[in-house]
Amino acid sequence: MDRTERILDLVALLLDAREPISWAELREHFPADYGGSDDAAERKFERDKAELVELGFPLTYVQGDDERRDGYIVDRDAYYLPEADLTKEELAVLYAAGSAALASGVFPGRDDLAHALRKIGFFAGQSLPTPRVRMELGAVQEGQVKEVSARLEQLWDACAARKWVEISYASPKHPNATHRRVDPYGLALRRGVWTLVGHCHLRGGLRTFHVHRVRELKVNTARPRTPDFQVPEDFSLDNHVAYFPWQHRFHEPLEVVLRLSGPLAARASGLFPGATLEPKGEGLTLAKLRVSFLDGLARFCLSLGADCVVEGPESARSRLREMAARVANRHADALEGKVTA
Amino acid sequence: MSNVHERLRRLLFLVPYVSKHPGVTVEALARALNVSREDLLEELDLLTCVGRPPFNPDDYIDIYVDNDRVYVDLDQRLFAPPRLTAGEAAALAASAELLRPASGDALQSALQKLERVLPPQVRERYREMYRKIDASAEAPQALGPLTRAILERLEVTFGYASPGRAAEPRRVRPYELLSHRGQWYLQGFCHTRQDSRLFRLDRMEDIVITETPFVLPPDARADVPNPARSRSEDSVRVRFSPVAAPYVKERFGQDARPLADGGVEVLVAGDSERWLTQWVLSFGGEAEVVEPVSARAAVARAARASIGL
Repeated sequence: MDRTERILDLVALLLDAREPISWAELREHFPADYGGSDDAAERKFERDKAELVELGFPLTYVQGDDERRDGYIVDRDAYYLPEADLTKEELAVLYAAGSAALASGVFPGRDDLAHALRKIGFFAGQSLPTPRVRMELGAVQEGQVKEVSARLEQLWDACAARKWVEISYASPKHPNATHRRVDPYGLALRRGVWTLVGHCHLRGGLRTFHVHRVRELKVNTARPRTPDFQVPEDFSLDNHVAYFPWQHRFHEPLEVVLRLSGPLAARASGLFPGATLEPKGEGLTLAKLRVSFLDGLARFCLSLGADCVVEGPESARSRLREMAARVANRHADALEGKVTA
Repeated sequence: MSNVHERLRRLLFLVPYVSKHPGVTVEALARALNVSREDLLEELDLLTCVGRPPFNPDDYIDIYVDNDRVYVDLDQRLFAPPRLTAGEAAALAASAELLRPASGDALQSALQKLERVLPPQVRERYREMYRKIDASAEAPQALGPLTRAILERLEVTFGYASPGRAAEPRRVRPYELLSHRGQWYLQGFCHTRQDSRLFRLDRMEDIVITETPFVLPPDARADVPNPARSRSEDSVRVRFSPVAAPYVKERFGQDARPLADGGVEVLVAGDSERWLTQWVLSFGGEAEVVEPVSARAAVARAARASIGL
């Protein structure tokens, strides 16, 4: 019998059973499948049982007593999906977000997500919203989508089962690929880029990896149901992945003060979320922020134009001046006249 | 995840779905399950062989196609789908984070309700897995009302500040929201311009949902903004140093032309001088406009202004 068919038969049998079903009975019901030696039959049933548990099938073994015999039983109430009573708005937001993630082509747990959307839509009848939200990931080239999607899926499984992975990784900064073993702690999406955060055995510490830069990936297949590592209690993905260029952890953090004038003054909170803002009257705002990658901040400030000025410290001021002077000099012939930083 | 597992999950949903929607068309069912018509018919075939021992005629699932519609007469107790697994709930919750800042209370209450329908023994596992994907996006507040306007097919009005210009009023039929490289866009038909347009959400202000309904065209789909793909007569040649080249290649792929010195060159749309200037400046000296001279001059002026010249 086909394995899919056998497992579905088991589901039908167990959902219908009023009494626990013993192993001996199961063997009688499926003589062709659980025949052969005791050992082989048991191993086969163990695999089926594991699959049933994976499917969310609440299968338990009960020790019998005077009233009841030994055997397998399923809690039907725990099996059937109850109606979640989602309002129209709640369903719409879950559908919009879920389908945007699916449409992106690259979201960890894609299969899980597709099934979840189907299930929560089960009771909605005809009123199921048609979401019109899409997400495209910037760093992934068109031809790479399948590959990145497959890697995210493997990483999702590895994170969930806490199995280590072996990766070959090359970044634009260090184009020679390095091979390393990583304990995957989690995945974070920032500005269209998926990042793996985990303990890197090669570097002996926590590291972040852009998933689209992973060249090869292998998940440890030994003892699939036994975790290889523990994630530290106090671990938080958010502490390790940068939202903005100045948050990359390249040097000791320092506090930088920016002076935003003109139209930027009113947009300060949107441009520098998390910064301490000090409005200084009409059209002027001071923004204080923690910076651990000065060059990232300088480039961002430069792109904002003359209304964004670095007040201090001096190291930050001079870095921005150097960069601006470099750009001005490279384009100087268009205006004539050189600039010194 | 194995194919057997995927197939089982699909089949455990299929029977209850048909049970709840008797007479669903083969096509609609295939769409709901994201499989081809052929694969679906094969799955239905398999299901007719499924049942419970002792496998008397009444013990099989009785599911059949009649006149291109699917019916189930005996579901063998598969009348509702299984509860969400920890992985399914975690993936759903993580994807919901994409819209968190824009979704108000609806998302919070939806997630609470989801957690309530999880089997108790799965909840802890769900919470653990949910912590492992962090898709919190920088979703702007405007996503909330725009999502609603798209769903309810109602026109919207807003003030739109094009770069270098003060905000001007627009009336738009909202078709689709698109997130690209962390930036959110609305695609729709703009009455003011009498054309399809892509609007950046961070440049919209005072969004109002009107009571004017519209019909959504079937092919409405936003093009992903890519300056290297919208070249025109005003295209600008930008050259990048060998330091920046690997990053530019990663972003533009084959649109980045390699140079002898290890750098790369990209030809980009030059219809927005302000955007181009900001973009070149954001490379902090590792990018240079080659031509036209007007664009070179704009970059030089902006860089000089930054240091007070």
